[in-house]
Amino acid sequence: MHYDLIIIGMGLSGLMAAQTASDANQKVLIVGKGMGGLALFSNTVDLLGDISEGVKWKDGLSRWIQDHPDHPYGKIGLEKIEESLSSFNSLFPPPYTFQSKNEANSLIPTGIGTFRPTFLIPSTLMRGITVREKKTLIIGFKGYKDFYAHRVADQLKCRGIVLSLPEKLQGEISATALARRMEQSSFREFIGAEVKKHLRDEELIGFPALLGIKAPTGVKKDLEKRIGASLFEIPVLPPSIPGMRIFNRFKERLIQKGVTFLQGYSVSKALFKGKRCVGVEISHPPVITLYSADHYILATGRFTGGGLKVDRNRISEPLFQLPVHQPGSQEEWFEKSFFEAHPMHRIGVLTDSSLRPMGEKGEPILENVRVVGTILAHQNWIEEKSREGIEIATGYWAARQALAQ
Amino acid sequence: MQWVRHMAENMNKKAWPKHNSDLCIRCASCMAVCPVSRVTSLFPGPKHAGPGAQRFRKPGDPSVNEWIDLCIGCHLCDLVCPSGVPISELNLIARAKYLDEQGRPFRDWLLTHSYLYGKLGSRFSRILNPLLKNGIMRWIVQLLLGIDRRRELPVYDSPTFRQWFRNHLPQEGKKVAYFYGCYINTNETDVGKATVEVLEANGFEVVLPPQECCGIPMLGNGNFKEARKMALKNIPSLLQAIRSGSDLIFSSTTCGYMIRHEYSHLLNIPGSEEVARKTFDLFEYLRNLKESGNLKTRFKALQIKAAYFAPCHLRSLGIGLPALDILRLLPGLTIENVEADCCGLGGTFGFKKEKYEISQEIGNDLKEAIDRLEPEIVLTDCEGCRMQIHHLTGLKVLHPVQVLREALIP
Repeated sequence: MHYDLIIIGMGLSGLMAAQTASDANQKVLIVGKGMGGLALFSNTVDLLGDISEGVKWKDGLSRWIQDHPDHPYGKIGLEKIEESLSSFNSLFPPPYTFQSKNEANSLIPTGIGTFRPTFLIPSTLMRGITVREKKTLIIGFKGYKDFYAHRVADQLKCRGIVLSLPEKLQGEISATALARRMEQSSFREFIGAEVKKHLRDEELIGFPALLGIKAPTGVKKDLEKRIGASLFEIPVLPPSIPGMRIFNRFKERLIQKGVTFLQGYSVSKALFKGKRCVGVEISHPPVITLYSADHYILATGRFTGGGLKVDRNRISEPLFQLPVHQPGSQEEWFEKSFFEAHPMHRIGVLTDSSLRPMGEKGEPILENVRVVGTILAHQNWIEEKSREGIEIATGYWAARQALAQ
Repeated sequence: MQWVRHMAENMNKKAWPKHNSDLCIRCASCMAVCPVSRVTSLFPGPKHAGPGAQRFRKPGDPSVNEWIDLCIGCHLCDLVCPSGVPISELNLIARAKYLDEQGRPFRDWLLTHSYLYGKLGSRFSRILNPLLKNGIMRWIVQLLLGIDRRRELPVYDSPTFRQWFRNHLPQEGKKVAYFYGCYINTNETDVGKATVEVLEANGFEVVLPPQECCGIPMLGNGNFKEARKMALKNIPSLLQAIRSGSDLIFSSTTCGYMIRHEYSHLLNIPGSEEVARKTFDLFEYLRNLKESGNLKTRFKALQIKAAYFAPCHLRSLGIGLPALDILRLLPGLTIENVEADCCGLGGTFGFKKEKYEISQEIGNDLKEAIDRLEPEIVLTDCEGCRMQIHHLTGLKVLHPVQVLREALIP
């Protein structure tokens, strides 16, 4: 089969590229080994944690870009980053929208009761930013082991309670099982009554982020009515239910648009003719299928997704054999202390301004391939708190560049 | 996958994997999609049941976790794993061992060997069908066999699809071989007829190689030996068909997945790889024809509002949603994809009394997703999904090819 664009990788950057190209009525194939990083890492949209609270994002980011011209943000520029964010937002019409408070970063509580800066916040998590100003009650569930309400409440200096679940659900229970129950009104009736029973003078209730997968705003509203206080969700350990909501929304939209969505299989080989990629093979033993396209986008992530491989001494990109910008020797990969900024976290593929891969001296490598997301060099999303921003901006921009050619 | 091959070659449980589970990074992506652990806490979910528990399993030791039998075998965990852990396979092998030790009830034999009595069922359908629908009869079946009485039992068609085919006027053209599967032959013959008519309309001559049950009911119940027996019966005639230059088409994604992937991967049947490379899902084949400009694309307008559901085995085939791609060419047809995972029937899983409620709970999520779309009919490529969706919604449920046939212009 021949396509206009083949995207390899199903994380946010790949999905964003697929959505951008399919919006322009291109024939698109997206292939991913798993479900990408959304259910692992994402709840909100981080843009750049460095921008302090109260500073408008555009002011903060444009200053930061000047000091970081090699960063993916530096290559794309403020205007296109803004375009990409509004394109992302257009996928999430009310009621489940992503918004910032006053165009700036906000601090939201995490699943261990600390605070982290983030930019676009889904409506069910939004009130978390007011937790320091309001009397809050944190809710945990007995049998759900990824969220310790008392621990979180201690950190946030408020009260926490752990609810016992109805008899049928006793024992261990997972986030997805709870999220599914939350969509049943009989379960919400039970939870609402239990919370109300424990409520003293709190005006805000914090739940782990599992208030439903399909219709979280409805779940939130209904519980608020039953309890008589405002609710918010707190991001927890994987699987991330808010991340799944993003993934599901993209998937729904892409399939609607006729994008070929191949989840569960990785590209085993790429074929080249000169400086062009002319096809990729997807192996599903014993069958190998060849797909070709005018353009390709590599969105395979760093190590978790298999975008980069590491042996004792070198880090490599296994599919297109692109050069990986990295420290000269293995001793330089890590600093001594865990919390230092490790050089390992800045490695990746170098690209030109249209995100085509290039060598250390700036030489072009492949004309019709673009590289997006966290596999890119010169960014450290862990330290920068910039993961989703980089994914959205580069995915969008690479697809736009491919379309323009 | 070396170990799987190794195991299959020997069928010797001492050779089963020891360290494969160490690929798991405990990311819990599988926990996000498992339909069973989403509805019941009796099953701990793929992360724990698969690679987690695997670390504690020793070949010589008896099985300790009866919950392993609750894995429905949907493969969805495999599809989301970023590390390539064959989770559902670890589960299947552990289940096989557990059931080998426990012994299988007669009920499981009966559910997995319908190919033995299907033709009889078809011949005596007039007597049998009312009995199969009868409430008292189903109550007795539940009591004696443990097949849940709330589950409709499939009724039989007469004549069989093969008998119909023998009497239909053949068309000359490029030959394609068709693997229709037992259910189409005796219970849903119209799907077979529609497949033949659509292929003939596109200039093909359909041939039916001699065939038996593909063996997936046995494999799904952890019975490797019986599954292998069926595969060994099928491969020679399928091999002969493709060696004479025909491609092999399947209309059931379940049988198709079994032939294309499990015959070689899990069962190591000689010749199966050669067959697999020439084996195609019906709509994948039609989509390929379209790509090369050889599909007849003039269709009648059909004013139908339909919902399409992608079966688990179709997802596992890794070919996208070809039925949806083709059906979107039909004028007048409104079709939307149902955003839900796994119908919950799981082949024979949902027939079993002790699993019926779990099956229904999983199905309810699908029912809600279908209800939201308010379709007139539902389309899906797998007979199990069709049974379950009809059971859940009461709606008319068809194979996509039955709608495509309606749109053909003679």
